[in-house]
Amino acid sequence: MKTKFGITKLFVIALTFLVIIVGCSPAPKASESSQPPASSGNASGNTSGGAVDLNSLDWSKLDDPALKNEEINLLVVDTEGDLTKLLQKFSDETGIKLKVSATDYNSLFNKITTAALSNSSEFDLIEMDTIWAGQFLAGNLVEDLTNVVPADVQSGFTQSSLSSVKYNDKLAAMPYFSSTKHFYWNMKMLKDAGYDAPPKTWTEFREMSKKLTKGGKYASGWSWKQAESLNCDFVGMVYSFGGSFFKQDGTLEVNSEGAVKALQYMTDLIRNDKTIDPASLQWTEDDVSNAFRAGKIAMMSNWEGQFPDVNDPSKSQIVDQADVGLLPGEGSVVSASVTGSEGIAIMKSSKHKLASLAFLKWMASKSFQEPNFTERGTYPVLQSLYEDPKVKEADKTQTIDKIMAQFEYGQNRPNGPGYVEWADILSAEVFKALAGNKSPKQALDDAASKIDQAIKKAQ
Amino acid sequence: MKKTATGGAFSALRLSPRAWKDTLLAILLLLPTIYILLKTFVSPIIESLVWSFYKYNLMDGSAIQYVGFRNYNQIFQMNEFWVSMKNTAYFTVFTVGAELALGFFCALLLNQMFRGRTFFRGIIIIPWAMLTLVNGLMWNWIYQPGYGGLTVVLHNLGLLSPDSNPVWLTNSTQIMTFASIADIWKMTPYMTLLLLAGLQSLNPALYEAAVMDGAGFWKKIWHITIPQLAPAMIVAVVLRVLGAFRVYDILTVFSNDPTTSVSFLTYNYAFRYFYLGRASAMAWISTIFILILIVIYIRMLKKNNELE
Repeated sequence: MKTKFGITKLFVIALTFLVIIVGCSPAPKASESSQPPASSGNASGNTSGGAVDLNSLDWSKLDDPALKNEEINLLVVDTEGDLTKLLQKFSDETGIKLKVSATDYNSLFNKITTAALSNSSEFDLIEMDTIWAGQFLAGNLVEDLTNVVPADVQSGFTQSSLSSVKYNDKLAAMPYFSSTKHFYWNMKMLKDAGYDAPPKTWTEFREMSKKLTKGGKYASGWSWKQAESLNCDFVGMVYSFGGSFFKQDGTLEVNSEGAVKALQYMTDLIRNDKTIDPASLQWTEDDVSNAFRAGKIAMMSNWEGQFPDVNDPSKSQIVDQADVGLLPGEGSVVSASVTGSEGIAIMKSSKHKLASLAFLKWMASKSFQEPNFTERGTYPVLQSLYEDPKVKEADKTQTIDKIMAQFEYGQNRPNGPGYVEWADILSAEVFKALAGNKSPKQALDDAASKIDQAIKKAQ
Repeated sequence: MKKTATGGAFSALRLSPRAWKDTLLAILLLLPTIYILLKTFVSPIIESLVWSFYKYNLMDGSAIQYVGFRNYNQIFQMNEFWVSMKNTAYFTVFTVGAELALGFFCALLLNQMFRGRTFFRGIIIIPWAMLTLVNGLMWNWIYQPGYGGLTVVLHNLGLLSPDSNPVWLTNSTQIMTFASIADIWKMTPYMTLLLLAGLQSLNPALYEAAVMDGAGFWKKIWHITIPQLAPAMIVAVVLRVLGAFRVYDILTVFSNDPTTSVSFLTYNYAFRYFYLGRASAMAWISTIFILILIVIYIRMLKKNNELE
């Protein structure tokens, strides 16, 4: 009885305490980075007299000598350390001190959002994946550069790299590198099966796959683990089959006729034809690349940068056997691929915005873009560089034109503020269809309904 | 009792100047720790409780507004939440049950006298000492279809037909089962060590008396070891239940499916979707579940002490 009374008393006291705390606590405040910008952009070159505002975004003042005393911090993916070395040229050329905070891709999003949540001004510049553009702009994490970067500078970028850093026609970042998925095939395995050329359509791909699957080797392998890598392959496939992720009014649509056709095709390959390595359901892009280099699969869809390793005898069993080209299309669609281009954005919380803008100008120019390809093999965002003699000369595998050709068919993922949640729902449902737990139509209808609910709940 | 307490408090007020000085110094030295604890531990807890009553979507630019219990209501109606709770419960029961059985067996074995006992006691810690993610990656490799260790072993044993190549991680039940096996492999040594410590404190005279009464191996286990080991078992089980209920990291290796555990789902809502209000409410609901477990634990301990 005494114990019972004690527990009840404790519970009542705790409840009262909590009510008082909740009642007296202030409402959560929007982070500092959510406040309106202190200075507005100026791409026109209008200047007024007086000392330069080092926290302004004024393209016309990027040569101001006062910038030489500035120090900026860039958060960027660099696991090898070679990018950090290359970026030091910026300090040599401009006198602005650049600190590079290198990280791996998987930690990037967390580091950016942790900095934003804590109102930290630690990072002035951050690497931004295409799928974060809407979230970063709507969440006021990054500066809107639409009216900051002059139109003639923007027109020099490849269409795919520029569109991947935009959300609702607003420029969230400066294009940093160009990327899409490409089609790689093992010429020897194709020849052994009686083919001299890769498939041009998905129908041809399916027929060829049946002949290529033999002796414990599979025609293709895919990154179809329930993760973003699955969405990447699905997006390319949807556009190949004439589908889209947007209705005519611009709203999101994941269960279009083309999307259902695409998923049916993917499901048929893995469940009926069994021409895809079944491990694909547990693979991401790196696993697919490993299987391709081990000669276990004849064809794959993957990002750029496969060639140094695919022709390295210490890492590959298919040296000089691989080639790259356009991903197949279907019907009137020549080809379609998901865009993976990235940009570099200026954080709203930065206290050195003018120096950060100077970095973006340098990073998007030939001074960085050319050595970034010749020394690191990363594809440029400047259209003009694809005809540049130095770039052509550095292209030892003679693949730059083939890579460039695929960029023309790049398709962006719907990068709205809620993308991360929608993407999780979509990959979960698409995976269920591939694993045989749901029909493709049912899976995509369920994805559409769950995404609708998520959008409603977020309002 | 009351008199003593009052007397204690009263005498505390009549401290000598030196004792006052010591007390003040102690308070002064404690202040930085108290401040850090308040800022890093108490304040976030209170803040998350406040946030749970607000619509607070950090990354979509929407306004922050008070919504009362709407977040809690939404979570209770959310299918994903109940799926994640079911998966968490499955993981907790399966892993803790298996770890207790295996840990008890290993502890009994390591409590016997045999050559190399110290060596085996030492190496059993290795899985537990391994980083959870490293353990997850290792098991993820074992579960790879085709050339993964599990498929190869099953093929060699003839338990899988040569043309069969199953994909082990295709739905949440399979993911939970295989992730549980990885967790059991890692955490059984922890259970073993706790139970081994308990076994070593048992009075050998009890066993001698039992032998004289004609008790065999199983009778000694059932009537002496298990009842005497109960306090250590309760501690071990409760600690593991609390750990298993909060499982997150090992699951991320096998799948990106957030419904595999309630912690994974909460993490996603907080740090990937940035629905801080709903994530806080979700965290509080799971905290209440854990608090219930702690209350049960305290009551069991108390009951055990009373019996002794």
